[in-house]
Amino acid sequence: MAKKFLVVDDSVTMRRIVANSLKAIGYENYVEAGDGREALSKLNSDDSIDFIITDWNMPEVSGLELVRSIRSNEKYGSLPILMVTTRGLKEDILEALQAKVNNYVVKPFTPQILREKIDQILESA
Amino acid sequence: MENKLNMEQVFEKLGDLKQFFVFGQRIVPVIQKIIDFMRDVVPLLENVNNSIQDSTSKIPKAANQIHNVTNATEVATGEILDIVDSMSMDLSRIKNELLEMKNGFFNQRVTLEKHASDFPQLNGKFEELKNGLSIDEMETRIVTLENMVRKLENDSTNITISLQIQDITAQQLASVNHLIQSVQKRLSSLLFDLGKKSNQNLSELEQMPEADTDTFNPDAKYDTSAEKQVRVDEIINENLKTSQAEIDKLFSK
Repeated sequence: MAKKFLVVDDSVTMRRIVANSLKAIGYENYVEAGDGREALSKLNSDDSIDFIITDWNMPEVSGLELVRSIRSNEKYGSLPILMVTTRGLKEDILEALQAKVNNYVVKPFTPQILREKIDQILESA
Repeated sequence: MENKLNMEQVFEKLGDLKQFFVFGQRIVPVIQKIIDFMRDVVPLLENVNNSIQDSTSKIPKAANQIHNVTNATEVATGEILDIVDSMSMDLSRIKNELLEMKNGFFNQRVTLEKHASDFPQLNGKFEELKNGLSIDEMETRIVTLENMVRKLENDSTNITISLQIQDITAQQLASVNHLIQSVQKRLSSLLFDLGKKSNQNLSELEQMPEADTDTFNPDAKYDTSAEKQVRVDEIINENLKTSQAEIDKLFSK
């Protein structure tokens, strides 16, 4: 069964680029959210989401807050999360790890990097 | 005797007065210079004041223009992505067509070779036919076309990667806008102190929504080198070995 992705980013451009990259590596099934709040709403209403790809810097609920909210939720707390962000400082990465993201990609990224990280996460699941 | 004492007091006072006049003679040019300086500097200060006022009034326009630039680049990037999507779909169709053609030529070759072995009496005729149909040449051309399609697909992927610059510059511009808004607040507060802004202006300014610093990364950089991700991976791998308790401990400091 094809995995269903939730792509969370406040930039329309980035949502399209992530979605196009997913399609390029064979994942056609995805839904989008413009910020953390919308993502949580989608997670609450859609049980078929298998994987979350989220940006960090977003209005309303940031990516990091979103990760913390997801991890504290019984229903979807164990879903794999890949953080895709411009933040590349060590303290940022450690903070994301502390919030329990499964992996971390810095922008700009290539579809190959995205595939590699998704595969790593799915293999270790 | 009393008169003499009075006179001495008068002389003493006159002496003080003389000293005062001597001091006055020395100080008058300095005071004159201060007055001249003030005469020069007041219009200058007025100019500075007006410049600050003028600049402050232009800041919202500048901030708005930056916002418009971000929106325009987002629209333009969307249009480019539409074209890239359409190109990718066309390339995918071309790739499928080429594959079908390749299979067709392969089948022709197999059939001709089969007939050649089934009918040895027609020795050479099928080879002649194969050459006449230019099967080898067509197959080589298809391989060349397939390589070109692969290159174009690779190019369109690279365009998509490059378009991530839109998000990165949008974050940098948002950071500049945040800085501009901070400057505007400070200048407006200064104008209020100088009496050039009303209470109402100031309260309007205070009500101005603060840019949410969580929505952008001021250090966002467009760096396509692989080193950045390699460094991230190293940190991730290093810390995956570290226990969660140790990471938590690091952040609780």
